[in-house]
Amino acid sequence: MINQDLVDYLKGHGVCVVCQLRYLKARGNEYKDIKESLEKLNVKYEAAAPQDEEEDNSETVCKKAKQQSCPCCLGLFSHSFQSQLIESILQTDIHKFECSDIVVAISMPMIVQTRQLAMWYALLEKFGNKIDKERAPDVPLKEAIKLIINPIICKELQKGYDANGIMINIQLSHNMEEDNLKKLKQLHEKAFPTAPNTKRQVVSRGVLDKQYMPKRIKADLFKEYFTVPPQADDILKLDSIEMTGPTVFVAGRYRKISRELSHTPWVLNGKRVMEDSIEEIIIRTVAPYFCKDISRVIFMSSGREDVDVRCLGKGRPFVLEIPNSIHTTLPTAEAHRMECEIDKSCKLSVKNLQMVQREELVHIKSGEEQKKKYYRALCKLHDPATPEILQKLDIPEGFQIQQKTPIRVLHRRPLHTRPRMIYKMKASVDKDNLRVLVLDVVSQAGTYIKELVHGEFGRTTPSVSSIIGQPVDILALDVMAIDLDWPKDVDNSLPE
Amino acid sequence: MQIDPLAEYYFQHEPQTICGQEVTAIIDEYVDNYPSVVDRFFTRYYYIKKSGSDKSPYQVLFHSNRICLISLAPEHPAYSNGIASLNFDIGQTDRAKNTVKGKGKKGGMVLQHDSTLALLTTKSGEVYKIPSCVRSKLVEVNTTYSENPESLLTAEEGANYIAIVLPKPEHCEDIKASLMTQEQYDEYKKQLMETSTEEVEK
Repeated sequence: MINQDLVDYLKGHGVCVVCQLRYLKARGNEYKDIKESLEKLNVKYEAAAPQDEEEDNSETVCKKAKQQSCPCCLGLFSHSFQSQLIESILQTDIHKFECSDIVVAISMPMIVQTRQLAMWYALLEKFGNKIDKERAPDVPLKEAIKLIINPIICKELQKGYDANGIMINIQLSHNMEEDNLKKLKQLHEKAFPTAPNTKRQVVSRGVLDKQYMPKRIKADLFKEYFTVPPQADDILKLDSIEMTGPTVFVAGRYRKISRELSHTPWVLNGKRVMEDSIEEIIIRTVAPYFCKDISRVIFMSSGREDVDVRCLGKGRPFVLEIPNSIHTTLPTAEAHRMECEIDKSCKLSVKNLQMVQREELVHIKSGEEQKKKYYRALCKLHDPATPEILQKLDIPEGFQIQQKTPIRVLHRRPLHTRPRMIYKMKASVDKDNLRVLVLDVVSQAGTYIKELVHGEFGRTTPSVSSIIGQPVDILALDVMAIDLDWPKDVDNSLPE
Repeated sequence: MQIDPLAEYYFQHEPQTICGQEVTAIIDEYVDNYPSVVDRFFTRYYYIKKSGSDKSPYQVLFHSNRICLISLAPEHPAYSNGIASLNFDIGQTDRAKNTVKGKGKKGGMVLQHDSTLALLTTKSGEVYKIPSCVRSKLVEVNTTYSENPESLLTAEEGANYIAIVLPKPEHCEDIKASLMTQEQYDEYKKQLMETSTEEVEK
């Protein structure tokens, strides 16, 4: 039985019980049972690798391995290291995060990888062709960490494991890493020679993972630089632990009543044109509750309006992507405070503030062209309106236009002629001035309404101007509605 | 009693409160002396060929984003003589075959200020080589008037553009300096009037 021989060999070289299991390709409960009780381990252990030896014997080996630090994992899987790790995590500011899940990222020195390679060569030497030369004989450390260390951290912190949780970045080091890297570099130059003057590939973790295997590097060459089998050494050192809070999403709808407020910061030749913007007002009011560094917050909205266009009605849906957040919920009272704060600007109003899931962002991001937008335009006719003109502009069935990229954005966008649907149009007139027309337009997203009105020198056809056969100009534009039923209605002014 | 035929079309403002304020009706924003699209976004410049006998004037509408619209100045002889044809095929090249790709307008024909954009033939038979006026890249030609060239003469300012061109940002200042401003052009017209009256008097 190779299993028995393998375990005996590993034990004989001081390999810890966890790494023994790794070399037995254990990929499940076996590890969990270790941490729960040694006894239980022994049962499982025996089941996994039947053997005649007594239980006490394996126990002593286990203890021995712990003290010496395993030559394969350099103590990574030892109880003492794990308790040190947990203790250090608990000493961080992890408690400031209001989040029930964590995700763990452990960065190890490359010496650990070299150690696995050395053991691979040792096993090849011992067991010959029973060991594959391309596929590593052990369960990769990353995988073993997931199976062993992550559940322990979760249990100690009483958190679940989720990719959207608090990211715990653990940096490990080893006092022989510098020497290890030097040797690796020398080995790499010999093992993978490159032509002079070509840029040399750096030995990275990825390169080690993919290219370093007995099939590609002869054992004798490897042994020139590294001891085979690997020897026990100092235990890994815990360098640093950093916490990154989860990325959260806060959605809402905004309305804009100022014609002097741009969507995003408007900078021309390094100077601000408008002192403020929708993006900045929302971020500086909402984001500080969630994170310290608001510069990394991303503002997204379902389309945008020009600086001189008001956005009325129910408003435009938007969402903030907030990384490294300390909160994952938004109390109603806090949301209401933010909404009231924004109202004080007298330019912008935000309602329906709420937390949303990342998955819901598809509402804002996709199907942009399918969305309908409702506009109201203030137009000036060349001649006073007649019933005939108003009838011509009453088009409930809609029509299609061909719209060239407007001149005002042509310097920075490609020239295209785009078909756009006008789903509905209706005109009304000012009782006191028959040249003053109010046009209600329902259009496909992406339609340039100002150009639809005046026709932009014939570059948008048909246009309001071409339909009635006289010059028409647009003086003001309002967005009346955006047909996106997201995010859901939330009245934050009501007590929870 | 007479029925108002427009009664059903009168605008009615629906009240709404935002930021604790009553939203103003859109018709409140009407102003009588609202400047035209050209006045709002463009600066008028003029171009007259420096060499040759043809001294007909052309207009360059310079957008604030540096896009230029090239057209005949209102004093161009075509306005008095009528247009028989407007042709973008200028011999070696057909400007109507111009294509541009992407934001950078790749593939657009490169133009010098005196490169011919199009050939205009008046009803009296004179042929005018319409110059590009601006060192730039050709973005778009206006083929609307190829079939019915006379309609060019009745088109509104701006709508009578022959071509849209895009100069390089670093050339804009030099280009503007090389063109006549509205003021300079008005002065030029005045002098032209004076010399022609003098000639008549002689």
